Amino acid sequence: MNGSSPVIEASPLVPDAGRGIRRIRVPQKLRNLELFLLIVACGINAFAVVLVQLGAIGAVDSTVITLGASLSVLVLGMHVALRYVAPNADPFILPVAAILNGIGIAVIYHVDLINGDTGWDSTAIRQVVWSAIALICAIAVVVVIRNHRVLQRYTYVFMFVAFVLLLLPMLPGVGQEIFGARVWIHIGPFSFQPGEIAKILLAIFFAGFLVQRRDTLSLVGRKVLGVRFPRARDLGPIIVIWALSMSVIVFQRDLGTALLYFGLFVVMLYVATGRTSWILLGGGLFLAGAVIASQTLTYVNDRFNAWLDPFSQKNYDDVGGSFQLVQGIFGLANGGLIGTGLGRGRPDITPLSQSDFIVSAIGEELGLAGLFAILCLYLLLIARGLRISFAGHDDFGRLLGVGLSFVIALQCFVVIGGVTRVIPLTGLTTPFLASGGSSLMANWIIVALLLRLSDTVRNQPRLVI
Amino acid sequence: MSELTLLILQFAFLALLWIFVFVVVYAMRSDLFGRRVKKLPDAQAAGAAGPASAAPVAAVSTNTPPRQQAPVPQSKVPTFTPLEGSSAGTHPRATTGNASRLVITAGTKSGTEIPLGTMPLTIGRSTDSSVVIRDDYTSTHHARLMVWNEEWMLQDLDSTNGTFLDGKRVTSPVNVPLNTPIKIGATSFELRR
Repeated sequence: MNGSSPVIEASPLVPDAGRGIRRIRVPQKLRNLELFLLIVACGINAFAVVLVQLGAIGAVDSTVITLGASLSVLVLGMHVALRYVAPNADPFILPVAAILNGIGIAVIYHVDLINGDTGWDSTAIRQVVWSAIALICAIAVVVVIRNHRVLQRYTYVFMFVAFVLLLLPMLPGVGQEIFGARVWIHIGPFSFQPGEIAKILLAIFFAGFLVQRRDTLSLVGRKVLGVRFPRARDLGPIIVIWALSMSVIVFQRDLGTALLYFGLFVVMLYVATGRTSWILLGGGLFLAGAVIASQTLTYVNDRFNAWLDPFSQKNYDDVGGSFQLVQGIFGLANGGLIGTGLGRGRPDITPLSQSDFIVSAIGEELGLAGLFAILCLYLLLIARGLRISFAGHDDFGRLLGVGLSFVIALQCFVVIGGVTRVIPLTGLTTPFLASGGSSLMANWIIVALLLRLSDTVRNQPRLVI
Repeated sequence: MSELTLLILQFAFLALLWIFVFVVVYAMRSDLFGRRVKKLPDAQAAGAAGPASAAPVAAVSTNTPPRQQAPVPQSKVPTFTPLEGSSAGTHPRATTGNASRLVITAGTKSGTEIPLGTMPLTIGRSTDSSVVIRDDYTSTHHARLMVWNEEWMLQDLDSTNGTFLDGKRVTSPVNVPLNTPIKIGATSFELRR
């Protein structure tokens, strides 16, 4: 596959001098739509910060400029970069990601105001700086990776790097344990969650691996009750990934990440082979693992108890009990249908309302109406990702697109499901909203890869009849 | 700031958030709900000129677009089928080596060619298809021409009205022989050397 994208010019294709073959999509049209949506998104972000200040301190001061404008400048910078290096990229992804990031900053800023954090202690300021770093990474990805098929060449390199990143927190020197989970590394003043970056590398590895191997994984097998099951010797990959996820649960004590990796692999396997039996097998394996873990590991057992019976006094008072979960639900209840208003709720009562529980903070301040708008934005973002994969040309790109969009979808489900008590609570970050540099960086890189994929999809010979 | 002002601002913010969501949905409506069928300007012009071809359905059912009734090869497309069927075995399979172009043999763009590379081609009404066919019979994502082991394969993407290779409806991916008509709606095309 060559790197240049074949774009057919109108003239040589028309032997019969009729109406020429028109390029029906004018590239700049897409970018202008993106610019319009971006300006609206930046306006909403600035409005959110102003509302937080009016609600919390009753006046507007200069912090608005640093918090509201810096993110806008950065996303507009990304927009300009896209005009040059990916003019046919999807116009909806960037504005949706920008608005999610901005609303996250506004809500984090409110918690800062209540806690009285200013300057470098302020989580919102750090979140803005991390957004800047993340966006610069995203621009670099779009500029450097001009053709996503290059990634396929390094399938196994990505696998190796992903495993190293997963193992890094276990190293005694750099690894750090926070709230029981050993998923951080700590170098100097910075702490980083390498698992977030590993999920992108794993998605690339799974895509490359499954493109090569899917025929063996899909064609042979025995039919049981109308479902074709794979041969025992083809179960190798799924068992390895299952063992990896289980070891994340046991050694790093992180349920969410394990669910994320395993769910990602099973879904990509299903998409690559089109066989329901992989979903059945994967679901069965994960359920078995979850039941075993809940019986043998105390922290998993605590999570299950807190999930099933959060309002009992014993679970509420226990260390590692349901206090946080219940406070989050109280926050959501306090918000009601339209919320208390930005800057006028009490999100600080819930522990970690800036990161893990930002959904309950948003639910309190914007209410059901606002939270559903946020969910719609996620839905649109994920739908775009799946749409890009559907229209893709090469199997690697299609699988990669599905994997990357599904990572965001699954992460939303795991976090929001945990906060709203649909599933046991696990420690994952809400994409784009939650404070946390590694998560922001990973999600903006996913956005950059999806933009690159969508640009390749539209760059092709086109004939309109 | 009075409570009322803050409440109004809160409502304004929620409204703005939802307006943004709906603006995005509106802008991507053709991707979500499929592309609207538009009558071709040429067909309408021809319809105004001659009453015989006023109904596009009638024109299409004879497989001859209204504006081009004179050329003989196009009206022969239906009778072509049995002949081609009997001689299908004689046509070699189209590979990336021996097929260099896709030629439209019937339809409004009859005679047009697209050079074939090794990249797959998608056919459908959606604007991100490689070959966009806008008539009443084409689905949003209708069919796909792709390369498997250097051979061109035709896959129907679960289209409503079907894709026909040499007069037979395509249900699973099939090898495409050279010089064999593929029919989608009112358009037929072949892969040629």
